[in-house]
Amino acid sequence: MRIDKRRLGGWTARITAAAVMSLVLAGPVGASHVTVRVGVPGTLEVGTVAYIPVALASADGSPLPRTPVTFYLDATFAGVSGEVEVGTAVTDEAGVATLAYRPRVTGHHDIRLEYLLPNQSEPEVATISVDVTGGAQLQVADPGLSIPGLNVGLLMAILTLVWSILFGVAVVLIRIARAGGSPRDAASRPSG
Amino acid sequence: MDALTAEQERLVETAIAPVRRTSRRFWLVVAVLLAIIAWGGYAYFTQLRDGLVVTGMRDRISWGLYIATFVFFIGISHAGTLISAILRVSNARWRTPVTRMAEFVTVVALVCGASFVIIDLGRPDRLLNVVIYGRWQSPIIWDVLAITTYLTASITYLFVPMIPDLALFRDRLAGTTSRWRSGLYRLLAIGWVGSDGQRKSLTGAIGVLMILIIPIAVSVHTVVSWIFGMTLRVPWNSTLFGAFFVAGAIFSGIAILILVMAVLRRAYGLGRYVTDTHFVYLGYLMAAFAAIMLYANISELMTHGYKMEEGVEFHFRQLFLTEFGPYYWFYLLGGQIAPIITMLLPWTRNARGAVVAAVLVTVAMWIERYVIVVSGLRVPLMPYEPAAYAPTWVEWSMLAAGLALFALLITIFTKLFPILAVWEIAEDLEVTEPPAGTVPAPSPAEG
Amino acid sequence: MPEGLRAPDSETRTESSQATVGRRTVLRVIGLGALALGPLPVLSPILNAAAADRSGNQAGGPPAVGPDGRIRQWTMIIDLRLCDGCQSVGAAPRCTAGCIEGHFAPEPMEWIQVFEADLPGGGTQFVPTPCQQCQNPPCVNVCPVGATFSTPEGTVLIDQERCIGCRICMAACPYDRRFFNWGDPPIPEEAGLAEYSAEHQVPAKRGTVMKCDFCPDMARAATLPYCVQSCPHGAIYYGDLEEDLATNGDVVVSASRFLSDNQAYHLKDDLGTRPRVYYIAGHGEAVGRDAYASGRLPTEWPWQPDGDGAIPWTR
Repeated sequence: MRIDKRRLGGWTARITAAAVMSLVLAGPVGASHVTVRVGVPGTLEVGTVAYIPVALASADGSPLPRTPVTFYLDATFAGVSGEVEVGTAVTDEAGVATLAYRPRVTGHHDIRLEYLLPNQSEPEVATISVDVTGGAQLQVADPGLSIPGLNVGLLMAILTLVWSILFGVAVVLIRIARAGGSPRDAASRPSG
Repeated sequence: MDALTAEQERLVETAIAPVRRTSRRFWLVVAVLLAIIAWGGYAYFTQLRDGLVVTGMRDRISWGLYIATFVFFIGISHAGTLISAILRVSNARWRTPVTRMAEFVTVVALVCGASFVIIDLGRPDRLLNVVIYGRWQSPIIWDVLAITTYLTASITYLFVPMIPDLALFRDRLAGTTSRWRSGLYRLLAIGWVGSDGQRKSLTGAIGVLMILIIPIAVSVHTVVSWIFGMTLRVPWNSTLFGAFFVAGAIFSGIAILILVMAVLRRAYGLGRYVTDTHFVYLGYLMAAFAAIMLYANISELMTHGYKMEEGVEFHFRQLFLTEFGPYYWFYLLGGQIAPIITMLLPWTRNARGAVVAAVLVTVAMWIERYVIVVSGLRVPLMPYEPAAYAPTWVEWSMLAAGLALFALLITIFTKLFPILAVWEIAEDLEVTEPPAGTVPAPSPAEG
Repeated sequence: MPEGLRAPDSETRTESSQATVGRRTVLRVIGLGALALGPLPVLSPILNAAAADRSGNQAGGPPAVGPDGRIRQWTMIIDLRLCDGCQSVGAAPRCTAGCIEGHFAPEPMEWIQVFEADLPGGGTQFVPTPCQQCQNPPCVNVCPVGATFSTPEGTVLIDQERCIGCRICMAACPYDRRFFNWGDPPIPEEAGLAEYSAEHQVPAKRGTVMKCDFCPDMARAATLPYCVQSCPHGAIYYGDLEEDLATNGDVVVSASRFLSDNQAYHLKDDLGTRPRVYYIAGHGEAVGRDAYASGRLPTEWPWQPDGDGAIPWTR
């Protein structure tokens, strides 16, 4: 997923600032004492991409750049449960990785993020909680093609025209038939 | 005036003769044709009993002889369009003796063609679904609409110019023929007395019909071609199909007309009116359309062959070399080169030459329809071995029965209805009336 | 008679006889005819709509919905890296076998068929090919009676009660995925209890068309299609583009990511049919197949009863 870096810069600055005052979610699990700050932009909407920045900083507050972060969601489909990868990102110079997340189901979800530090063998885990609203159908099955104007009406117009001409000929025949009984025309009855 | 009146009398007698006398040969022909149709009926019975599995069609080649024959018959039905309509519009005087036969052929061919589609259905018992649930977007519905419209228009176009001749029959045969027959003529002549008013109405109606029927006929074979052209099969995915099929239809229509003319001329002694000149003129038209078909084929083959898109190489191989090679070459040489050469060479430029060329063309056009259908479906869509198709005895029997039905209906028509367009020919004779005292000179005639 | 056919002379021209039909009358007639046939454009869509009650008569019920009540948009993603034509299993392809068993598909129908395609450098890949469930389906476009139709979930079903067996859909399908009941198809004993619906094509009817239907009856039961369940390597993923999830029975993936991360493609994409079946390129390497190990075992139809009077046919 492509992320607009410039827009992100603005976002990042704002969110990181807000994040200082926001909750620090799921502190360090391992011995690394890395802090994870996440900026959740309010309520998310189904089908709309939301950019969720995640700032990684070491215990002394310096940012952790170039750290890959993977985001997972637990999901169940057709009776099979598992964790679904919903995004990956790498922290930039400011230690911020941004997840481009397009939620599909409403409700409360926990997105788990994992990052692997260079000196660790096991990834560390943090959790982002999001609330999603919305519910318009994103993908509508719209089979076939529709060309404006080229429809049943045009076909019926052509058919109506042709059949009314045939109908007109039928009326002419009836007139011929009716005229045959007139005595005035007996004089011009042909010979033989 | 005497020579003219005598001439007209002879014309009327010739036209009425088939209705007055019926030879034993006629009954023999009818018996043979009925036997073939009965055999076809038995074949269809086995198909109804066991399903389409009795044919050679299978999932990969799911259309075969039936659809090819359907297209063939609808194509033949354009005989009437060409002769009656196009030649009438262009006021070609020589057409008058053959218009009636052409119109017969049209109506009968449409009936036969439509029956072959129904024979091809997997569930003919659900035929009414086409009416109840018909989808306007479907090429098959376009076929249904176009063919019913064309059939109605052709029957009208057969009937309306026949009214004065039916009146002639009514008057001439009154009292000398069976009750139902005179009743039939009286009914169909709809009180025609030849008054000026009636004549004006009739000419007006014919004028409207002859112009109307040309676009109807063009649309019919165009939509028939579109049951192939609207699919994504490599050999069928061509924008040229509509025009190509219409040209092919008129082409095969001319050929069938020549054959029907030749047979009826010999059977009913029409040599005075259906002359060698008519065969030669129709032969010229056939040669002209052969040239058009040749051009269309070259155009299609060159543009596909130059690029050789996916599937085209396979198709060319099966068309020219392996599966269908002999048949396709016969179609190109016998069906397109031969008619042109026949009309170019002076010693074949006669009735016999035209008839031979017409036979070649008719067979070649059926083969062409067959090759289009089967070769189109044979090009593999996915990585599998190309399938094979061979019609079974059921399909061949139905083909024979269809042709027999065609012949039988025309034969019956000739016994009931005026085989020549008497009033049009008479009109023509009047216009070309020679100075009084000399016998009007028709072309050298047979029989 | 012929003398009457000369051009009308001056006396008759002044007559306005009843037999003459003037131009005005003809125009009036044409107008009346047009009026008489005028209601048809309005009438026929009404009739059609009444006849084509999709959610009621033809499909098996209301459209399948996800957790939010939005209509499912079924898709299938076939990971060819995991498909080896069941060579390692030593059997005919299991997806086909599972489908045949589950649907009682008559011989020789393989609704999902494993084709063996040539690779550019030599060697082959196996391509399981179900009905592609196109979004611009050529078969639906050409059907004269609407017997094959698109569902709100994006799949294409066939109503064998309406099909007239004209087979134009079979000519139109570019993937060779439609099959015809040429003779009387064999009927399984279970079919006696089953009521035919377009979502569960049992019992098959003679003279009609059948094909893969993405197992809508399984989807309603919230389980996976027969082919997905039968694949021993989990090569076939079944998913919903609306909820953006797919599973092969073992793992769950985000459908959109799975497709984009692996450069998924369509079969015959240039034809514009817009299929719902995606493929991820491979030749079974993830399950240890070498591209040059060609050949697979032929499909069988073990469920078919013997000697029940059915007339069989070949492909």
